[in-house]
Amino acid sequence: MKKRYITKTLIIAFLATLSTSCDKKLDFEPKQSIDATTALETSADVKSAIIGAYSIMGGGALYGTNLNMLPELLGADNYIRWAGTFQSYRQVANRAMIKNNADVTRTWVQAYSAINNVNNVLANLDKVKDATDKSTFEGEALWVRGIMHFELVRLYALPYDNATPGANTQLGVPISKTAVKAEETAAVKGKRNSVEEVYTQVLADLTSAIAKLPDNNGSRANKYTALAFRSRVYLSMGKFAEALADANTVIANPKYKLSATLESVFSNKHTSETLFEIEQNDQNNAGTSNDGLTTFYASLVGIGRADLRVNAAFQALYSATDARGKDLIYVGVGARPGNLYTGKWKTFGQNIPVIRLAEMYLTRAECNFRLGTITGSTPLADVNAIRTRSGASPLLLVTLNDILLERQLELAFEGSRIHDLRRTKRATGAYAYNSPALIFPIPERETQANSELVQNPGYN
Amino acid sequence: MKKVLLAILVAALPIIVFAQTQSKTVSGKVTAANDGLPLPGVSVFVKGNQTVGTQTDGQGAFRLTVPANATNLVFSYVGFRQKEVPISGGSMQVQLEIEQKQLSEMVIVGYGTQIKQDLTGSVSGVKAKEIENLPLPTFETALQGRTAGVFINSGSGKLGQAINIRIRGISSVSASNQPLFVIDGQPVISQSLGSSTEDDNPLASIAPEDILSIDVLKDAAAAAIYGSRAANGVVLVTTKSGKAGTTQISVGYYTGFSNPTHKRQFLNAAQYRELFTEAATNAGYDVAEEFEAETGTLDWTANNSTNWTDKSFQSGGISQYSISLNGGDSKTRFLINGGYSDQVGIIAGNKLNRANGRINLDHSVFNNLKVGVNLSLNKTVNYRVSSDNAFSNPLQLNAMPPIHALMDPATGKLNKNTLYYNNLIDLVEATNVSKQFRSISNGFLDWNIAPVLKFRSELGFDIVQLGEDQFNGRETLDGAPTGYSYNNQVRATSYNINNTLTFSKLLDKHSIEVLGGMSFQEARSFATSSSGQGFPSDKFTKIASAAIVSAGNSTETGFSFLSYFTRANYKFNNRYLLGGSIRVDGSSRFGRDSRYGIFPAASAGWIVSEENFLKESQVISFLKLRASYGTTGNSEIGNFASRTLYGASPYADQSGIVFSQLGRPDLSWEKTNQMDIGLDFGFLNNRINAEFDYFNKQTSALLLNLPLPATNGFTVITKNLGNLENKGFEATVNSQNLIGALKWSTSFNISTYKNKVTNLNGSTINGGSRQLGRVSEGQPFGYFYGPKYAGVNPQNGNAQYYEEDGSIVDEEDFSGYSQKIGDPNPKFIGGLGNRFSFKSFDLDIQTQFVYGNDLYNIAGLFQSVNGDYFDNQTVDQMQRWQKPGDITMVPQARLYEGNGSIKSSRWIQDGSYFRVKNVVLGYNLPKSFLSRAKVQSARIFVAAQNLFTFTKYTGYDPEVNATYISNVNLGHDFYTPPQARTITFGFNLGF
Repeated sequence: MKKRYITKTLIIAFLATLSTSCDKKLDFEPKQSIDATTALETSADVKSAIIGAYSIMGGGALYGTNLNMLPELLGADNYIRWAGTFQSYRQVANRAMIKNNADVTRTWVQAYSAINNVNNVLANLDKVKDATDKSTFEGEALWVRGIMHFELVRLYALPYDNATPGANTQLGVPISKTAVKAEETAAVKGKRNSVEEVYTQVLADLTSAIAKLPDNNGSRANKYTALAFRSRVYLSMGKFAEALADANTVIANPKYKLSATLESVFSNKHTSETLFEIEQNDQNNAGTSNDGLTTFYASLVGIGRADLRVNAAFQALYSATDARGKDLIYVGVGARPGNLYTGKWKTFGQNIPVIRLAEMYLTRAECNFRLGTITGSTPLADVNAIRTRSGASPLLLVTLNDILLERQLELAFEGSRIHDLRRTKRATGAYAYNSPALIFPIPERETQANSELVQNPGYN
Repeated sequence: MKKVLLAILVAALPIIVFAQTQSKTVSGKVTAANDGLPLPGVSVFVKGNQTVGTQTDGQGAFRLTVPANATNLVFSYVGFRQKEVPISGGSMQVQLEIEQKQLSEMVIVGYGTQIKQDLTGSVSGVKAKEIENLPLPTFETALQGRTAGVFINSGSGKLGQAINIRIRGISSVSASNQPLFVIDGQPVISQSLGSSTEDDNPLASIAPEDILSIDVLKDAAAAAIYGSRAANGVVLVTTKSGKAGTTQISVGYYTGFSNPTHKRQFLNAAQYRELFTEAATNAGYDVAEEFEAETGTLDWTANNSTNWTDKSFQSGGISQYSISLNGGDSKTRFLINGGYSDQVGIIAGNKLNRANGRINLDHSVFNNLKVGVNLSLNKTVNYRVSSDNAFSNPLQLNAMPPIHALMDPATGKLNKNTLYYNNLIDLVEATNVSKQFRSISNGFLDWNIAPVLKFRSELGFDIVQLGEDQFNGRETLDGAPTGYSYNNQVRATSYNINNTLTFSKLLDKHSIEVLGGMSFQEARSFATSSSGQGFPSDKFTKIASAAIVSAGNSTETGFSFLSYFTRANYKFNNRYLLGGSIRVDGSSRFGRDSRYGIFPAASAGWIVSEENFLKESQVISFLKLRASYGTTGNSEIGNFASRTLYGASPYADQSGIVFSQLGRPDLSWEKTNQMDIGLDFGFLNNRINAEFDYFNKQTSALLLNLPLPATNGFTVITKNLGNLENKGFEATVNSQNLIGALKWSTSFNISTYKNKVTNLNGSTINGGSRQLGRVSEGQPFGYFYGPKYAGVNPQNGNAQYYEEDGSIVDEEDFSGYSQKIGDPNPKFIGGLGNRFSFKSFDLDIQTQFVYGNDLYNIAGLFQSVNGDYFDNQTVDQMQRWQKPGDITMVPQARLYEGNGSIKSSRWIQDGSYFRVKNVVLGYNLPKSFLSRAKVQSARIFVAAQNLFTFTKYTGYDPEVNATYISNVNLGHDFYTPPQARTITFGFNLGF
């Protein structure tokens, strides 16, 4: 009896030993992720978070595909044709977006994701000890926040009317400036700010960014990147003098020069012409089969879905000697062969120029023309600089229409189509520049999650 | 830990030695009461001490050394009533009576066994005998149609793919709904490890011939001992073990062929031309021009006719070889199994072969101490088929216009100039092989510390090594232009410790058993993959030869469970039963603020037939009422769902981090409270017995992704928010209709579950743009939601739909109004089995049925859409509207114009079916004939799987569930391959 008692005691002791030694084993740390509480502890961590924001912007939802392709599709008339099977893009090309359009949704979601990531960077700048780094990171974060809000307001809200500057009370998009990392703040239901408020915030962020950013910052955004973007913002607001000043400052920087050929801007990385490009390589890119610019635009052997073809009438707008029409538009040899395709997007790992010097020349030309000034150069010289580079014959005389046409020819397939049409109040096909059909719906998931959001006209 | 164990052993040794000292020998013979023939293989053991035992030999004789204080021997044999006999001097003559019903049979429950008669929980299962020689694709499919309350949908005819198993309905919205699989006491890896869009099934590596029994724990009383992992039910698998006696060798072989259960019918070349000529004309196009523009071929004006649909298939087959050795003595028993199975699927290119070996060994160190090991090693090689949604899925060939030639006359090779990718090129130029090595092994120690106290310790390992190897040559869609190679290596390991102490005591009219124990499991998985492009030629297939290593990856994840549990069963006067259990589960998966969960259950039973007023009844031989209530959990919530995380997000060559998840530190298991009321009957000396159950499962704290405003940076947070319920009935009736020379027994079961999602916090979950599945409050999980198709306007041939007010409008005026248009959940499911034997012949027919579920063919958007695009159409599209006054459900054919092409109820059909699932006809060769050949037994048989299927579904097969889409889309069909009908012939020999 006594022995049995001892045995029992031993077994109980054994079980107890086992259990206490195991308790710690319930602590499992994820290996591919780290806990948010320990993620931003050092300067290097904050830098990683900044780069993370670039990676979001490089995704298919933003500059990797949609911020280029959606503005193109919205202004597809007499220009390009969507032949692909993706319903979401087809809806955009047909100006018949539905509220849960997958691409309308992901662009919204990812833009705000980029914004929150940089808001968290801004909230953790105290971890950065080096003053220069701190200023750079802050500048980059503000720049990201600024341009993301700018892209959103241009797509999801009625256009900024430069006839009533300062009084654009139409609904814009919610401005996000809070660093969110917990449920309490993540569940807050924000309202749409007015278009005016959003533009004001964009300018404030970009202006601060310009002050904080260094002249050189490797492949990431620098002061001139932010200046170029601010020039774009001013131009879309009709603030020609301000747009001109920023464009001129960028052009004046001898570091930036037009490349010898336009083709080389797209086939090389970091040419002297680009002010900002999305970095890609073979491993990390926006996609090679269902996403990415090359996927949709190219028709090469084994490359591309050839979903977006170029209308022959648009190619005919280039003169016979113009490399942009002659060489940069080709007859497809891969999927959907025999049609015309753009040669700007031909390889999966290529960098994606988002803003480049040629645009600054054209902006300067347009603003000088409109203002009757010749700051930096004459409109004719600026336009001809762009034309002659590609082998088009120089113009002898330039009109506003010439400049705007040149802008279309030069920046084709780079995501500026609908924006340029809208800011100059030109229609696309049957759609007036301010047609609600050209405005994206607020994604359905968003109006369902946030009852404070008012839907755009035509989508209720 | 080892040291502690050693210390206990050392400390306990004197007791064991002491117990060894005195003994006596008993011997005798066991015969059957009905015919007096000797019974070989009867287990004989000392009452109260099962480790002291032996088995009768070929003549029914036994000899056993027992402790001096042993009083009674217990004799037990499958199919006979267990008998207890006092030990007497001299040769004991024991007669066993045939058991009409297996009420005294032992049922495996968690961490122990119980006599079926005393069960207060709901357990059903399958025994080895019922499934032997069946050409089962994987062992779990044995439960289909044989177990009430278990709904199995194999999903497709693809070999080695994950299958859907739902026990008593659907208990989760976003966590797993698969049951917990426990093999020989240890939870095993049962969820997909591979990287394919469609899940693989790691359980495909388990050889059905190794299995002794499969028991399914359904209610809380049975399952709550598995706590946070039991809400979807628990499947306990027990492998065969050695029996003392002369070594028995058995050899088995079968081989056979298979073909699809049914093929969907598509247009031939002439019909295709007719329909599309009309479609183009109606839309104002020239059909030849359009066909050329879309395909780049002049095939419209050529004269080709190809039956592409048939090219999706190959003639399948199966061959299986097995050998088993079984024997031992009173001290050591062993089982050695080896087998090889070679399955050729019915889908072009699909193959699965499996080699398996097992050694189960146990050894009685002392009378009261037994140790044993179960070791298994399996290899599975699966030549996989692409995802349903891939152009390379062979079934997608049925989209191909029949007017394309199969071969290109210019090259003499497979035609590449086709509307869609000619994926037959993949069969020649691509490979996609998954190889899995797996060992599920464990060791155990049984120590009878005292007659009333037993200690059992189990340590198990489950190690899976999966290698996925894919190569696509340059001619293939995915390999162009320079070849593509992908390799993924996964190592998943799990180890598990169980320690239990069982106290059992019979005192007068009281019988009590108390179990206490702990368990710890840790599982990890590691995956490494890489891919390459740019090969010198298709002769180079490994990434070493790739010019560009395009991707590389390595990941690791894991989880652990630490659990304590106890269970008590009390029986009074053989008729009143009480049971209770509590499990405390801690897991790394649960949030920091809710690490441990408590899962109790209680049950009671009343064996009414033991009461005096029924005891003498000639009609009712057994009657038991039982009820249980308890709580189980679902911990398949993801390993780190409670955390707020940053993940790496590279930006070209630079490394970045971004938020990857927003979490809550109190995130925990989903919780199911289940009530079960059951009634067990036995009539006419238990020749007819029946079980009825009603269950009500209320699940709360469902993990839901609560949508957040994305403007704050996050789209969802996972919370324990939702509720759903499953209620249903189950009935099982077994009867022995004839017990003479011609034996006939019948088993029938039918069950229902009514699922309703009761709280989703106001949100809905939609299946996707082409899918109809939806989860929303007040509706069953996955009900079909979308526009309701109203047919065709007889005046103009336009497709029509129902508006909210019930009015019917043409598509151009349709608002898109969506409503409930179907339910993929069956109203009831079940099976009917009949087993006959006459002299040396036996025949077993098992059928299975599913009634009242809807199926949705997503591919209808392309293949049954009256010539909207050049995809080949199903034959029913020939009934299109052609002129005013035509009454049909198929709208006017209009190329590109989308007449009736939105997702809708147009492609919903009744998915009910009745299937003759298995048929086995066997013949046992006469003993007289065999003895000359030194063969103990020989049996030849012919068997069939899915022999006949009766259904109104016009698609390939009504047992369908496309898995590339999200889990809310049940009963969706998308170029999903059908099941195989397999006929096999084989033999078993025993030496």
